[in-house]
Amino acid sequence: MNLIRHALAGLAISAAIALPAHAETTLTVHYPMPGFFKDVMDNISKKFMDENPGIKIQFANPSATYEEGIQTIMRQAGTAEMPDLTFIGLNRLRMVNERDIPVDLGPFIKADGNMAQQGFSDTILKLAQVNGKQVGLAFATSNPIMYYNADLVRKAGGNPDVPPTSWDEVIALAAKVKALGDGVEGIDFRWQGDDWMFSGLLFGAGGTMLSADEKTVTFNDEAGKKAVAVLEKMVKSGVLPNFTAQAGEQAFFAGKVGFEFKTTGGLRNTIKNVGDKFDLRTAKIPLIDPVNGKLPTGGNAVVILTRDAEKQKAAWTFAKFAAGPYGASVVVPGTGYVPNNELAAKSPDYLGNFYKENPLFLAGLSQMDRMIPWYSFPGSNGVKVTQTIVENLSRIVEQKAGANEALDDAAAEVKKLLPRK
Amino acid sequence: MAEAAVSFPLTTAREGQRRAAAREARIAWLLAAPALVLITLFIILPVVAVVVLGFTDFELGYDEFRFVGFENYAELLSDRGFRISLWNTMVYAASVTPFSILIGLGVALLIEGETRGRAFFRTVYFLPVASLLVAMATVWQYMLHPSIGPVNMVLAFFGIAGPNWLGSSDTVIPSLALIGIWQSAGFNMVLFLAGLTAIPRELYAAAEVDGARSGLDRFRLVTWPMLGPTTLFVVVISVINSVKVFETVKTLTEGGPNKASEVLLFTIYQEGFVYLRVGYASAMTVIFLAILVVLMFLQYRVLDRQVHYS
Amino acid sequence: MNGHSLSPARLLRFALLSFGVLIFAAPYIFMISTAGKSQSEIFSSSLSLIPQTWSYGANIAKAFTRVSMPALLLNGAIVCALILFFQVLVAIPCAYATAKLKFRAARAMMALVMLGLLVPIHATALPLYVAFDRLSVLNSYFALVAPFSISVFAIFLFLQFFRALPDDLIHAARLDGMSEASIVARVIVPNAWPAVTAFSIFSVVAHWNDLFWPLIVVTNQTYATPPLGLLYFRAAEAGDDYGALMAATLIITLPLVLAFLLAQKRFIEGITMTGLKG
Repeated sequence: MNLIRHALAGLAISAAIALPAHAETTLTVHYPMPGFFKDVMDNISKKFMDENPGIKIQFANPSATYEEGIQTIMRQAGTAEMPDLTFIGLNRLRMVNERDIPVDLGPFIKADGNMAQQGFSDTILKLAQVNGKQVGLAFATSNPIMYYNADLVRKAGGNPDVPPTSWDEVIALAAKVKALGDGVEGIDFRWQGDDWMFSGLLFGAGGTMLSADEKTVTFNDEAGKKAVAVLEKMVKSGVLPNFTAQAGEQAFFAGKVGFEFKTTGGLRNTIKNVGDKFDLRTAKIPLIDPVNGKLPTGGNAVVILTRDAEKQKAAWTFAKFAAGPYGASVVVPGTGYVPNNELAAKSPDYLGNFYKENPLFLAGLSQMDRMIPWYSFPGSNGVKVTQTIVENLSRIVEQKAGANEALDDAAAEVKKLLPRK
Repeated sequence: MAEAAVSFPLTTAREGQRRAAAREARIAWLLAAPALVLITLFIILPVVAVVVLGFTDFELGYDEFRFVGFENYAELLSDRGFRISLWNTMVYAASVTPFSILIGLGVALLIEGETRGRAFFRTVYFLPVASLLVAMATVWQYMLHPSIGPVNMVLAFFGIAGPNWLGSSDTVIPSLALIGIWQSAGFNMVLFLAGLTAIPRELYAAAEVDGARSGLDRFRLVTWPMLGPTTLFVVVISVINSVKVFETVKTLTEGGPNKASEVLLFTIYQEGFVYLRVGYASAMTVIFLAILVVLMFLQYRVLDRQVHYS
Repeated sequence: MNGHSLSPARLLRFALLSFGVLIFAAPYIFMISTAGKSQSEIFSSSLSLIPQTWSYGANIAKAFTRVSMPALLLNGAIVCALILFFQVLVAIPCAYATAKLKFRAARAMMALVMLGLLVPIHATALPLYVAFDRLSVLNSYFALVAPFSISVFAIFLFLQFFRALPDDLIHAARLDGMSEASIVARVIVPNAWPAVTAFSIFSVVAHWNDLFWPLIVVTNQTYATPPLGLLYFRAAEAGDDYGALMAATLIITLPLVLAFLLAQKRFIEGITMTGLKG
């Protein structure tokens, strides 16, 4: 008996010593919106594994939306189920950071030393920072653009090659489109769901959500009033019907809406759904303040979750790859997001030629210099705050309240939801 | 055995009975044990956990939490959203239940009276019950589209301007109720069909002899009373299921516009899984369960008396 | 009441039923129609049921390749079968005991059953999730099956049924010297078959289509159930790939429809005999 036990022990020890020097590291990756990103992720992970044979990428069940993605990560934080990397909506980075979930990428960036040369400019890095801490790397970024139906515009007497550049022009033209009759509507504006498009109006007017110390609500100041005035004007001119987000989009696909304002991230899907039913065009979204106006940045960032040092090294390599020029070159054509990497946008190796051949994608690209982070509210009620804003916007759209009244109500309710520190 | 018992003195006979009864009770306990254990584990303990959590400020993602007594409940009382949610749920349940039951009964009666194509009809009406509600809700969203959806297109054909079904806060609950009725009528139909097939034919013959000629008379005198227990069961289940509405709201409206379609389970889900305030959501869950218990209790009290058991 | 003549009453009945069928089946008609359309054809201003670009093949192929459909269907089958098995295994003895045997907890049992009927999984999800996580049993068939292994609805249904069973059957078996356990196995279960069939349909339908609980406990794709697979086609920000989504839904619903068609008669019989008549 003793002999066998010794033999087994010896076998075990020699096996441990003889194990290959670099064992394969497996990374589990979680991402949201598979209907959108599955092909993109499969492509990126395959290329990555080709170039990095010691690292294997496997995918956890993707979540249907950013929200569900966050919930999944929150539930799994600190457990064995937690994936090694995940992709989180840019406005929820703050929330996960408050719960100490993401790994600080600062040290990795310092060790790397030449992020800028790889296309990660400071502006781009800032998009995924929370109070100066690098929480992730921006992976897919978007801004709001204007889609329009050139056929309807032409029929209404406008020139589709010279799209309107101010909100007043848009509303005037939309009214002419609506006058065409036959169930045609003027505008579909994506005010539902979250506060992103409202930010588009607000930041476009030079406003901010909260004061710099985050204690006072400022979105109902001058800029905010101008923002909701635009919305109210659309409604009162009869060009903005009370669509749900899905209904509005589907009506646009069907060729029944003149102008649509939503994320450039939906461009590829819009192209597919429109097909050849009508002449689809895109353009910059009008800014209330054309000089100083800014636009919110939508999209998500890749975040490292694993605390294991070996895995972290592999994860950093993958994160940089996904957020880097190759990743951007896959994300952009497949979706409509704008490249989060300067190298990708300019170099013909990646996207230079793509933009020449696909002018519809230029609208989002041309607005990149206006992009500022999507604001996330502090405190544990951060998510509820965006809901409150949306609910009050719906009162304006349904004409159940005046614009300023709804805005002030929203401000009062949000104030109550802010942390009472 | 009986003969042997008689010749024994009385005390030993009673002891024998007591032992037999004790044995029977023991066996009964054994048989029921697995069920009891599982009910405790998966229903009672979680409910207790929820009640306890309702007294804390537990938030998902953080490790520590404190006990805050009745703070959550106090907040609930002044929570405008919660009140709206309660109201909407009541309106929804009050709209869906009667129609779902009536249509279920009506269809069951019609199918029962028909001899051809029964299997076909039963299957079609039961389809909505068997389908994934999340997916069917997506189809309904398209069907109820205000401008390019089939429903409004058909209405336009007849010159009626169809409403903005799911987009307007005035019509959103009726629209959801419509889908709810569609989804549950088949379930009630099956239950009623079973109840109907169980009515002995002789009763109808007897009723006819007594002068009941028309279908209406037969229904009033035989069918309806005999369906009593079935109807009670259907009503109880329908009310409870309609109060538990969630998936259509989550898929189609997310409670909007402006909370017009927010229902209890959705609010609980939002608070607990989206806003991550699990303590607060647990307090809401406790109130939700309390409402269900009261409803169930009331229904049994009120309706049970009126049911005719054979 | 007899369906032999073409009386106006019969015509009316048929008309009503058919009209109802049209309304109830309308979503399915559109679903089948959409499953065959290409993405650009689905949202258009004209109402057309027949797809112009015949894309059934393409959409079904997408449905099968986007997700591992066979694996999903297999998981659905395994999970539903396991759940049903344990539900019946646990419920029958318990219902029998409550119905036929005398023990003090009988009334408490009824109260528990009523309580159980009220509590939806949405309410108990979080504590259960935390518990399963601490025990490291997430992402397993156990996590998918365990919470549903007890079905108070089954106990309720079987209870009604057993109450209607004549006592003589059981007394006779006892006189023959059978133990309670074998009474359950050899007398009760064979007689309970119609009730079991009826309950099976309810159980399978409910758990085949369950999205909420698997969504929480399963993150590993090897354990994904059919509804989870449908999520692949949804992308909130960009809009859904409707054609493929409809095709996938058809594939997932079909097994249930077939099963119901086949099991119909026994299903109705089964419920009848559970004594809902009183």
